[in-house]
Amino acid sequence: MSEHKVEKKAKPPRAFGWMAEYEDENKLLDAARKVRDSGYTRTDAFTPFPVHGIDEALGIKPTVLPWFTLFAGMTGTIVAITMQIWMNAVDYPYIISGKPYISLPAFIPVAFELTVLFAAFTTVFAMLGLNGLPKFSNPVFSNPKFDRSTDDRFFLWVDSRDKYFNSDKVKNLLSDTSPLSVEEVREDESPTEIPRSLITVILTLILLTLVPGAIVLNIRTAKSNSPRLHVFFDMDFQPSLKTQTPAVASIFPNGRVQQPPVPGTVARGELEFADPYYLGYDPAATASLGGSSVNLVSFQDGDKTPTRAAVPDDGQPPSPADQPATTDAPAETPAEEKIVQETGPAAPAQESTAAQEPAAPVAEVTAQVEEPASADEAAPVADLPTVPANAEPNYAWLTEFPLPTDEALFDLGRRKFEQNCAVCHGFSGYGDGLVSRRAEALAQGYWLQPTSLHAAAVQQQPVGRLYYTVTNGKGKMGGYGASLNPKERWAVVLYVRGLQRSQNAQDSDVPPGMTVTTQK
Amino acid sequence: MAANIPNDNITLPASWRGRAPVFVAVGAIAVLLSLGIFYFTNTEKAELGFRTFFHSYLANFIYCLSFCLGALFFVMVSHLARAGWSASIRRIAELYAYTIPWWALLFLPILAMVLFTPSDALYAWNGNVDNLTHVVQEKLVYLNPIFFSLRTAVYFAVFIIAASVYFKMSRKQDDTGDTEITLKLQRWAGPFIMLFALALNFASFDWMMSTDAGWFSTMYGVYLFAASMLSFFAVMIVTCYLLQRNGRIESLVTTEHYHDMSKFQFGFIVFWAYIAFSQFMLYWYGNIPEETLWYKYRMNNNWQWLGLALIVFHFAIPFLGTVSRHVRRNRGVMAGWAGLLLVAHWLDMTFLIMPNVSENTPMSVPLLFGHLICWIGMVSLFIALFLWRVGDTPVVAVKDPWLPDALAYHNV
Repeated sequence: MSEHKVEKKAKPPRAFGWMAEYEDENKLLDAARKVRDSGYTRTDAFTPFPVHGIDEALGIKPTVLPWFTLFAGMTGTIVAITMQIWMNAVDYPYIISGKPYISLPAFIPVAFELTVLFAAFTTVFAMLGLNGLPKFSNPVFSNPKFDRSTDDRFFLWVDSRDKYFNSDKVKNLLSDTSPLSVEEVREDESPTEIPRSLITVILTLILLTLVPGAIVLNIRTAKSNSPRLHVFFDMDFQPSLKTQTPAVASIFPNGRVQQPPVPGTVARGELEFADPYYLGYDPAATASLGGSSVNLVSFQDGDKTPTRAAVPDDGQPPSPADQPATTDAPAETPAEEKIVQETGPAAPAQESTAAQEPAAPVAEVTAQVEEPASADEAAPVADLPTVPANAEPNYAWLTEFPLPTDEALFDLGRRKFEQNCAVCHGFSGYGDGLVSRRAEALAQGYWLQPTSLHAAAVQQQPVGRLYYTVTNGKGKMGGYGASLNPKERWAVVLYVRGLQRSQNAQDSDVPPGMTVTTQK
Repeated sequence: MAANIPNDNITLPASWRGRAPVFVAVGAIAVLLSLGIFYFTNTEKAELGFRTFFHSYLANFIYCLSFCLGALFFVMVSHLARAGWSASIRRIAELYAYTIPWWALLFLPILAMVLFTPSDALYAWNGNVDNLTHVVQEKLVYLNPIFFSLRTAVYFAVFIIAASVYFKMSRKQDDTGDTEITLKLQRWAGPFIMLFALALNFASFDWMMSTDAGWFSTMYGVYLFAASMLSFFAVMIVTCYLLQRNGRIESLVTTEHYHDMSKFQFGFIVFWAYIAFSQFMLYWYGNIPEETLWYKYRMNNNWQWLGLALIVFHFAIPFLGTVSRHVRRNRGVMAGWAGLLLVAHWLDMTFLIMPNVSENTPMSVPLLFGHLICWIGMVSLFIALFLWRVGDTPVVAVKDPWLPDALAYHNV
């Protein structure tokens, strides 16, 4: 190394070319033309401001930059269109706003943006590349006079790499163009070695920039029992029950999120006493008929207690972090979990942790099923009379509306019907709602078309019976007692009556003074 | 300074001026002929022929007026930006803009029809109210003959005042060489442009958009503006080219000016396409019946071919054709592209107005033929009015203080 340095220093400094200094741009332009006409092509001019005509005076050919822009722009268009077609029609076919998979108008804004983006980036970087930028140093900087090129002096430069370069000839040529000075540009003699301290700093910086990436990479690949790092908690941890999440966060001791009504109380305005208005039938008359006067609660499977995700007795969720190998497991630990426990300790320590993790959830699920219902859960009402499924209850149905029927009630009924009922029953009540039609189209076998509201059996039903159906449901239809209040339910019944009448209108239904025209 | 101004011939060739009466005669005959063509090709329904004629008249009227409006805007925006480069071509734009008073006279047939007859030949809102949809009936507060006529008067007042101020002051400078005039015009450019923008927007709503009174688009005014500017630069390029071919303004208008006009023309090709597409895409995506109806007429009955022709000849081909700097600096080639764009602009105006003749008017050969004859007539009138307006006025403002700048101007 040291020998090499000595050798380099012994050499005379390299000459890069000749530089002429001018007082104004006109002299520069004249000189540039002269140099150009002498056949030199590796020339350049340095001026404090843009000089018109310098390109032509130096003989600079038109740039090829526009071609870069054009082809980059076209690439952008093609990439954008292909990308969108591939994404929306091939990789993940998705109908957006009812448009076809390949809908060109929707793709054009993105195509436009990518065209501009590709073209702009390419133009900037190609411009830098064609100009040989970034360039941290230029031999001309070694001459202190050159500093005035950003102030009030104009410089013309002939590179020694030019095909016809001859040092003396160039010097003479430039001297004839009335310059202020003509000087040879020599290699900068200041040391070229990069200082060691700078290398250290740069290396340290490079290593430091790797740290965040390494941390992220570590977190992405490693396993951890602690929750993810949350910079913003947002609503990730909230006291609501979520699927597949133990209800640890519940604010109630019983682990439930929604609480049953306090026994023996009724919420304000919710009291529905045994009145025909709330029931759809007359309880007293029903009793004399021999029917039941008790509101029915039906269970899908009357024999079994309803189950739900259980919480161990201590109120803590089963944590995977718990060591199954410890012996204080719950007494009713099922067989599956025991097997895991037995094999666990036998394996080497590292392996055992790996084996326990997948096994733990199995144990939990089993435990949940086996666990008996705790005492505070809603127990089925034991003394309910059971009505066999599909049997028509023998009640004293109301035949008249228990509230005044006016246009407002009818409108309310129409709104509620269209919001709640029409999806299955259809807007005109023939059982051809969108859900029904879709289910029929899927033809999966388990769908029963809703009963047409215009069927004779439904038409003959008293209003009380219809109200009862709306409230409690029938067959596969669920009850709407929970989502519609009694007035709304009666309104729906009124609207259903109106629908039925509309489909069987008589001439006598036409109000006086109006005539019927048949639409062709 | 004046010594630097080249001593070009800056008056119109005498032979051109002599042809103005011929153009007027041709124009009047062709417009009347088109009325006859429309009338006799719709023999089963004379009323339809009348409707078609009025739509064709309006489309071709706007076609010619849009050049003048573009010219007026160009004059004002040149002053607003204190543009030096445009000084040597601005007089031509001033002359075009100053033909607007005569165009106001040519709007009188439409105005008279609205004001004195209950005809719905052009505007349904002027006809029988009972035939209108509820939406249009609600719009009658705005779209009624009296208010329409008042607004039309205001629009033309704005255009005419601006055009005559800028023309007459510039003419005054020809004699006095007073630079104060330029400063004054620069000061007034801002307010005038604001008024102009409002007038152009609402004029497009009233005159053109209300031919389909149920439909609405806030883009419509901008669309007409884009089309006007595009066609104006095309007209300028053609005018300069023809003048130079006849030995006028040979060194006053340089390649640099062609390059700049062509850059503007190119920019407005893109801007027009941008506006046209934006309007289409929003309505296409939203898919709301009252908004898509306008496009429904234009996507059926053969009009769709006209729409596709616009994409190709109003955007794609001129865009690719004039994207290169070398093309833009070639006068003859640019004059050719400008000519193509003037045809495309006619197709554009046809596309805007003609499908509104009735709900199911197809684009047919007789209709296009009559429309073409009407176009020939209106363009002849346009040429005649321009030649008359120029007369012996110099086509370059020789004492404009910016003129030396314009001549020294160089595209980098």
